Amino acid sequence: MSARTDIKKILIIGSGPIMIGQACEFDYSGNQAVRALKEEGYQVVLVNPNPATVMTTPGIADAIYCDPLEVPFVEAIIREERPDALLATMGGQTALNLTLALDEAGVLERYGVETIGARSDSIRMAEDRGLFKAAMERIGLESARSALVSSVTDAESFVEEVGIPAIIRPSYTLGGRGGAIARTKEEFRNFVDWALTESPVHTALIEESLLGWREFELEVMRDQADNAVIVCSIENIDPMGVHTGDSITIAPTQTLSDREYQRMRTAAIAILREIGVDCGGSNVETRGWLHAGRNYQRDHRENRLLF
Amino acid sequence: MNEHRLLVLSDGSVYAGLGFGGPALTIDELETASVPEKSVGEVVFNTAMSGYHEVLTDASYTGQLVAMTYPHIGNYGTLHDWSEVGPEGPTPRVAVKAAGFVIRSLYRGPVPAGRLTLHEFLSSGVTPGISEIDTRRLTLSLRNEGTRNGLILERPSGTELSSAELSHVKAFLAAFPLMEGRNLIGDVGITESTEINSGGSPRIALLDCGTKANIIRELVALGCSVSVLPSVANAEMIRDGGYDALLVSNGPGDPAVLAQQVETLRSLVGSTPLLGICLGHQLIAEAIGARTHKMSFGHHGVNHPVRDELTRRVFVTSQNHGFAVEEGSLPEGAMVWLRNANDQSIEGLLDTSRKIRTAQFHPESAPGPNDSKWIFASFLEMIK
Repeated sequence: MSARTDIKKILIIGSGPIMIGQACEFDYSGNQAVRALKEEGYQVVLVNPNPATVMTTPGIADAIYCDPLEVPFVEAIIREERPDALLATMGGQTALNLTLALDEAGVLERYGVETIGARSDSIRMAEDRGLFKAAMERIGLESARSALVSSVTDAESFVEEVGIPAIIRPSYTLGGRGGAIARTKEEFRNFVDWALTESPVHTALIEESLLGWREFELEVMRDQADNAVIVCSIENIDPMGVHTGDSITIAPTQTLSDREYQRMRTAAIAILREIGVDCGGSNVETRGWLHAGRNYQRDHRENRLLF
Repeated sequence: MNEHRLLVLSDGSVYAGLGFGGPALTIDELETASVPEKSVGEVVFNTAMSGYHEVLTDASYTGQLVAMTYPHIGNYGTLHDWSEVGPEGPTPRVAVKAAGFVIRSLYRGPVPAGRLTLHEFLSSGVTPGISEIDTRRLTLSLRNEGTRNGLILERPSGTELSSAELSHVKAFLAAFPLMEGRNLIGDVGITESTEINSGGSPRIALLDCGTKANIIRELVALGCSVSVLPSVANAEMIRDGGYDALLVSNGPGDPAVLAQQVETLRSLVGSTPLLGICLGHQLIAEAIGARTHKMSFGHHGVNHPVRDELTRRVFVTSQNHGFAVEEGSLPEGAMVWLRNANDQSIEGLLDTSRKIRTAQFHPESAPGPNDSKWIFASFLEMIK
């Protein structure tokens, strides 16, 4: 596929400071993106307030801004630089959130900036757990049972159905910040209250607990002609309940039969298609409860595959 | 298990390893006149990272020693439900089709309840395995110099072969038939016709040259009735059946020597819609006048990109073939429908006027990606 000629200047949002949910792989991917775009002859403007990264080395991008990753600052950069496009998928969660904020503030429309890699509504669908779950239902995939709540009362009536322990996740936060597992009813009430405060939109998702399930990931690439490849499959050695950032993982997956793996692979490609990751890579995480009884004892639900 | 074994190739190269699965040949059993079914055959490498059970039970691997490039094999055990052997005939079929299994490292831990370990599964199928083999060196050698015959040999003493012993083994391998010229389909297909999902529509006849079970599963899932016919079924029998199409299955060996099947297909061209998978694709190509040739090391794996020449879409396919249809030998009317994006070899043919559609790879996967399942729908679309 040939490069687009209607775009001249591209703004890349970096990941800012390195922390959980914002690991140094984004510096690497961003750095690669800048070089690849330059190679194709595009002008690249970079905003990343982290002078310690390789990405912000003078001479790599055409213009480098170390301003805070907030709407007014980035709007000023857009006003000054007038990029044709915004590449949002190279700066992790920070860049995705900021892109959404810029879109919602009308900045992108005002300056005629197109989001490339993933459209704003795709980012929204991937980031908003309710929209994501609805998308999974549309393509016939199962997710953990859950409810989006905006009050403690609603949360308590839902948890009656799925039982304790349960997971509480505030909407729109970084890398699991504010997410919690409640093991008692009292904990549950407190966590919901806290999550509603943490969330910028004051909603939280209550999910059935998948503690002890096996966890897999696939790195998927898809292009605009709908061709897709799996870069690698990954298996977490630690079960669900251990944060991916703390877990040892191994590639490729070691304990999935070919049928189980292919089911996951087909589903992952369908997810990219449905969410609208039209050009670029994505990480799809899966929770599998496959041949129960081997590693972790649970008494129900064999062969469920959740996304 | 764990007894000393050797893998010896016809060029005299020797790989020492440890045994698992069924018994291998001993040096005393080697007689240049005999053609044992197990322990000796063409050595091919397969690049799939999962799916060893499906590979071992695929009839297309009859007469081949399969070496897996992925280093650690057996983690998730084996399960009868994954087997790719075709429907049962009057005599029970041998579950493991490959002549031997060559791997780097064998998983020796427990497997989930209801499954057998790889060692147990191969033992029941009297197929020998050898582990601790430098499969990287072996694969490079096969890639650079092409596939060749080899055998797995018991070597209880663990000592090197003497030069007299090595000459003896080499003489045996030199006399062993090459894959080029081998007709193996008689041993692997069904011997009496059987109908699966009768009453379904359309009605597909499946010429069983060693079909994979998943071809039948996929057709049945699309509502077809599938009449599995022996590979020796003649044109008259097929015509009299009044089928909507004939699908020629995958299978082992050299298509160029299957004169009887090619002749049958030739007399059906134009009157019966013809569909083909793998060996079936090659046989149909021969029937319309194209030629096939032996590839250097073939395509065996689950990561081969194929391009649809009509839509330019690329998808990842499961492949297992050592022969290919020759570019330039295609007759008027037949077009290259699908092409391998790595080496540009022919992966599928289309002839709309004579209703022919074929795929060199395995749209039924098992093992491998499900990206090309749509091929079955395109088959049915053509015969509607």
